[in-house]
Amino acid sequence: MKRGRMYQWLLAVAIFIFLLLVPRLLPEIKIHLVIEILIFALFAVSFNLAYGYGGLLVFGFGAFFGTGAYAAALAFKFFPALPLLLALSIAALSGLAAAVFIGSLTARLKGAYFSIGTFAFQMFFYAVALKWRSVTNGDDGIGITRPDLYLPGLGQVSMMNTNNLYYFTLIVVSLCIIGTYLFLKTPLGNSMVCVRESESRAAFLGYNVFLTKIITLSTGGFLAGLAGGFFVLFNEFIATNCIDFSMSFTVTLMAVIGGTGHFLGPVLGTVFYVVIQDWLAALTQRWWIVMGSLFIFVVLYMPGGLVSFFQFRKKSLFGRFRGQK
Amino acid sequence: MTTLLRIQDVYKNFSGTEVLNGVNLEIKSGERHAIIGPNGAGKSTLFNLITGLYKPTRGKIFFGEQDITDWPIRRICRLGLARSFQITNIFPKMTVYENVRNAIVSKVNNRYACLTFLDRNKRIEEQSDQLVSLVNLDSVRNSAAAELSYGMQRQLELGLTLALDPVLVMLDEPTSGFNREDSHKMVTLIKEVTNNRTLLMVEHDMEVVFKLADRITVLSYGRVLASGTPDEIQENEEVRKAYLGKHTYDTKAK
Repeated sequence: MKRGRMYQWLLAVAIFIFLLLVPRLLPEIKIHLVIEILIFALFAVSFNLAYGYGGLLVFGFGAFFGTGAYAAALAFKFFPALPLLLALSIAALSGLAAAVFIGSLTARLKGAYFSIGTFAFQMFFYAVALKWRSVTNGDDGIGITRPDLYLPGLGQVSMMNTNNLYYFTLIVVSLCIIGTYLFLKTPLGNSMVCVRESESRAAFLGYNVFLTKIITLSTGGFLAGLAGGFFVLFNEFIATNCIDFSMSFTVTLMAVIGGTGHFLGPVLGTVFYVVIQDWLAALTQRWWIVMGSLFIFVVLYMPGGLVSFFQFRKKSLFGRFRGQK
Repeated sequence: MTTLLRIQDVYKNFSGTEVLNGVNLEIKSGERHAIIGPNGAGKSTLFNLITGLYKPTRGKIFFGEQDITDWPIRRICRLGLARSFQITNIFPKMTVYENVRNAIVSKVNNRYACLTFLDRNKRIEEQSDQLVSLVNLDSVRNSAAAELSYGMQRQLELGLTLALDPVLVMLDEPTSGFNREDSHKMVTLIKEVTNNRTLLMVEHDMEVVFKLADRITVLSYGRVLASGTPDEIQENEEVRKAYLGKHTYDTKAK
């Protein structure tokens, strides 16, 4: 066990050093890919906070991401002087607001009704983005210019420079993911898991099930909204594809492929998904077929996700398996 | 003795089926009260009404002076009224210790604390460990609740019920599914842990009832058939006909 821990730390340090060196090791086009991975990793972690930990299978999680993305886009467009961090905070808070809105109307529903309910709201948000052309510009989308990041001491840091954008994203996303990890270790994080495990038992122990669910959703919505804000910052453009159902579907896929039972499963899933997609999209336009098949394969044969494969490997590598299963 | 719980003319109607037809019942502070009656008499429904899972169609429920009829579950629970379930209701994937800790977190009002780590909270740890010992589960402290034997799960259930230091403990068939020996152990445990508390229980096993209860209420077809001391209930002709049959139970076996 101790040895396993040590390997974990070594792995973590290796990954961290790699991430720091990415701008030196990879060509610019690949740095873009890593930025995308970081953004979606945050999105997938936020999804798993609700699903893996809170037990809330939100089919409409893309609505939180999209709301954050649109909020950021509008902030960039109409208030170019707004500090970047403030604009991103607005994105995150909009995601949170969307989560509170959708959550307060659906959190009392059970099981599949809840999932479908959130999905209905996802479609509603999409319809608003599509039809409210005076604000969202509908299908044509909104183009933005990346504002500079103002840092005390360093002055203006240009986000047009890919390396700067990369490091900025890396720092914020890492902080958020670590923050989420720590958050789950607090009593409030534990309350979320209680509600997942047995709603009625939690209620009879004095937990407010509804409020706890709303908190779970809004924390997830906050992070998803932030991810959406970064997505717009990165793409310098937003259109309805940021808020349509494929966003919800993508994040579900990432989390499930990676494994929802482990905190870092969704991160692994995201890396895998984005890299495979990048590779497949270069080969064929029909890459969804492969992704879909992969999803089916994982659901049928690897219910723990990719992360369970690693756990299995680790166990056998480190001799915890003593020759038999 | 003061009245702790007063059920006043309570009716419950499930889409046309009258389950409770005007139940009146008083639970005195400090007594061990058992509700018995044939299947379908409305015992569990009454439990669910008291704890807030269902709302009565008519009638009121008072806890002390408080009218708790329309209160949500969590508020009733925080008032000092805890229950166990007939079908074990625990947090299956968590360990025994974590199960109990969830209850303690609620007790010390740390449910929404998000600036401290749960693992580092000594006060919660101490109280949780005490509770694990109280229900004799030290040996399986770190096992997942789902992996425990049935009897141990029932003990854990009892532990969760007691965790919030309730004034009124409500046990829904605490010994159902037990063999005689385990049942006997459970009765001893219940006696031990409900000292200085008020106990209200639903139980089918008459031996357990007569061993534990100071007062018994017989429910039949949604009405209170009789209410009194174990001896009075034994003697009651109507109860014998409706429920007990000819068997005589030893009321002195304490």
